Amino acid sequence: MNQLNNAFTLFLSLLVEAIPFLLLGVLFSGLLQFFVDERRLLALLPKNPLLGSLVGSCIGFLFPVCECGNVPVARRLLMQGAPLPVAIGFLLAAPTINPIVFWATWTAFRGQPEIVLYRIGFSLLIATIIGWVFGTQKDVRPLLQPALASVLSYRSQASADYSSGTPPLLQSGTYFLGQSARPLITDPSELQAAMVATATKPNGYRLRLLLDNTIQEMRELGGVLILGSAIAAVIQVFVPRELILGLGQSPVTSILAMMLLAGVVSICSTVDSFFALSFASTFTSGSLVAFLVFGPMIDLKGVGLMLSIFKPRAILYLFLLAAQLTFLLTLALNLYIS
Amino acid sequence: MARLSFRSLLPWLDVMAIAAWGIALLKFWLTGQLFLLIHPNYGWLTIGAAVALLLVSALRAFFIWKASRRPGRQMPPMQHLSLFPPGWGSILMLIMAIAGLVFTPQAFASQTALDRGVADSIPYTRVKPQAFRGTIRSEDKNLIDWIRSLQVYPEPDAYAGQKAKIQGFVVYSPKLSEQYFLLTRFAITCCAADAYPVSLPVKLTTGDRKAYAADTWLEVEGQMITETLDGKRQLTLQANSLKPVPQPKNPYNY
Repeated sequence: MNQLNNAFTLFLSLLVEAIPFLLLGVLFSGLLQFFVDERRLLALLPKNPLLGSLVGSCIGFLFPVCECGNVPVARRLLMQGAPLPVAIGFLLAAPTINPIVFWATWTAFRGQPEIVLYRIGFSLLIATIIGWVFGTQKDVRPLLQPALASVLSYRSQASADYSSGTPPLLQSGTYFLGQSARPLITDPSELQAAMVATATKPNGYRLRLLLDNTIQEMRELGGVLILGSAIAAVIQVFVPRELILGLGQSPVTSILAMMLLAGVVSICSTVDSFFALSFASTFTSGSLVAFLVFGPMIDLKGVGLMLSIFKPRAILYLFLLAAQLTFLLTLALNLYIS
Repeated sequence: MARLSFRSLLPWLDVMAIAAWGIALLKFWLTGQLFLLIHPNYGWLTIGAAVALLLVSALRAFFIWKASRRPGRQMPPMQHLSLFPPGWGSILMLIMAIAGLVFTPQAFASQTALDRGVADSIPYTRVKPQAFRGTIRSEDKNLIDWIRSLQVYPEPDAYAGQKAKIQGFVVYSPKLSEQYFLLTRFAITCCAADAYPVSLPVKLTTGDRKAYAADTWLEVEGQMITETLDGKRQLTLQANSLKPVPQPKNPYNY
């Protein structure tokens, strides 16, 4: 009974510490959807794959979203013509590279500020490398889901028309007259994005959209946070300490265990540092960094969402690259630095 | 029909789940239980979040009420990627908020201290002493101040004869004889999830430790001595007087 009591106290403490950060993250990402003009942003993006994926990794600062918010944004970026390296860099790094996640991680690991730095550095490095690797694929359509690929096919056809001298306003088949197989906008979320981006609606309407968005995200992410906190509390209280120490003290198994946990628990990146904190005394620093770097990139929940962009094959590549790079970097951290 | 009415209740479920968390956070603050859960530095964040959650739910309730009076003008449905079936996330949040309202968090006690490994040194990962105050009166140092001094200058003989008055709870360590117990407190850097125990051995001059049950809060006055315990020279508090005290409102040290 006492153990149960401890577990519930721990569970509540994780929630009470995490909920303010979750709310902040949700409000911020909602607000920025109104203020950042994605189309103007796209015009500024570099075309070079390496530079593109680096910039893509960093624009998370403009969209403080965690891994549930970044998938729809990455999808919109791709549809509006962002190069693949930019979108991949953004997809992998945005959940980590943003001010609210920095603050939350700093709060949790006040005693070990180096964890914050490793988290940022490794995430940027891995996202940039993977974005660059994907940049070598000239035609990205085979990697994408058919609906998204067809939008891109239409775009490239349209730009070919443009370069062949037809003025953009006179392009054929743009609208609904049946000359082209594809209408301009096939996807409701892009339609919505376009509506939001050019919103000239009254403020009351926009406030209600923001409110709806906040409530939906709180509901979804709050649910995942509750499940994640419950798992952390149960492991901490009920799994025998010898077992955890045995697993957590070895440089290799600790990393593998934490990466597995990150993949399964799917906790939101604004609050995952509090989850990791409950393992800080028993697990190696490298494994904590592995959890904080790998979790936001690939987890069960995120894979479900990514299927709205990529074919399973592309997600497998992403997963393999991210897992290997995280493992190698954090192993080096365990063996040579700490 | 039942399905239809469940759907029409969903927006209110959201409102209730979010408001319930606002109320639960406020309750932790007003009853002082927030101290048991998180570091006081972050109390204002919790309070701010509670107010914001209540505001969001009130606004939402207002809009639903307004929309229900004019059924012709519905909000456009916002497309959103969903993980749970409708209602699940809110129901989960609502149940946990109610559990939080009913349940009284407990401060960790000796069993947790033994589970987490009582030690007289702060593991290298924890907050380091920010300043070494040599001038502080030794009787004014609390348990964690003593441990931090020890971390900076670990030789126990250096403190021999100094007076001490410290509060903590009793932990029976299986490694110590009947004459000793560990006076323990938990320290936290962020929230209860990272609470770690720190302790000093207390040597009783008369009788054995059975007179002081595990988990009793005591204020112990005495002098520092050096003892060899469990094969290691350790700073030990030789007790002159032991006075039971109630558990402090804020049982953690920082």
